Amino acid sequence: MSDLFKIAGIELNSRLFLGTGRYRNAEDQNAAIEASQTDVLTFAVRRVNLNEPNEDAILQHIDRTRFQFLPNTSGARTAEEAVRIARLVRATGLSDWIKVEICANDKTLMPDPIETLKATEQLVKEGFTVLPYTSDDPILCQHLEEVGASAVMPGASPIGTGLGILNPYNLSIIIEDANVPIIVDAGIGSAKDVVEAMELGVDGILLNTAVAEAEDPAKMATAMKLAVEAGRQSYLAGRIQKRRYASASSGTTGYVE
Amino acid sequence: MKLIVNGDEQVLENVKVLSDLVTVYKLDDKLVVAEVDGQVIDRSEWGGFSISEGMTIELVHFVGGG
Repeated sequence: MSDLFKIAGIELNSRLFLGTGRYRNAEDQNAAIEASQTDVLTFAVRRVNLNEPNEDAILQHIDRTRFQFLPNTSGARTAEEAVRIARLVRATGLSDWIKVEICANDKTLMPDPIETLKATEQLVKEGFTVLPYTSDDPILCQHLEEVGASAVMPGASPIGTGLGILNPYNLSIIIEDANVPIIVDAGIGSAKDVVEAMELGVDGILLNTAVAEAEDPAKMATAMKLAVEAGRQSYLAGRIQKRRYASASSGTTGYVE
Repeated sequence: MKLIVNGDEQVLENVKVLSDLVTVYKLDDKLVVAEVDGQVIDRSEWGGFSISEGMTIELVHFVGGG
């Protein structure tokens, strides 16, 4: 059975999106990217360090033709700042996909819902393919879809925490009501969280820290890839209902007495 | 000539157009985006884009992120 995954008309082979931050070194990062078999990589935009112009720029190590790039607007605290970053990104000619990420609180890094909605609406008008990172609020996710988000990306828990899915009930409602892909972004800790999200019916997973800071990033990337596939198959297969009491798997007649 | 580049005041000589500035910082072959006074300037226009006293310039690139 075909199980196509498309965002904004682009067909993706993998439902796993991988971040490029926090790896110990470029070798670890490349090994993780290879192992993940991802099609989509995320980046951030920052000022060049003018005192160290040869400082490692992320794209030096990555084959630009192989991936769909999803740069983010991290560092933006308002819609206006996010729009500015998106325009800078587009000027590279690398991608017109943009992950709107607007965090106004450094402790929680929770997305600012109002600014996120404003930025999404504006960037859609400017022709970007917009994938907003958002809190797991079903009404907000609907609004993001209505203003033209190509996919909506609720967090499982705060960025970098590895706490997993804090509110599976909200996530289920978001999935039920959505007409665009729903991607869980942020808070994933291990393969278990990925399977849980995929079994709920999300269309994809975006993660970074769980792989980058694992003891063996490449091995964890493999685990995440397999978890995405296992969770997706399990979701499509349709799980059994949970029962309170046992139910014998060989029937209750014809016992040897 | 005084310019604000990436938030710091810089005093630079022999910078007439934006591409001169990019060369000063040895960024010619890098994937860098330039913004002058809030406007993104396309790389194809760098050679003809005049730089003048007091301009605020941002030179940005991609870094790792999630």
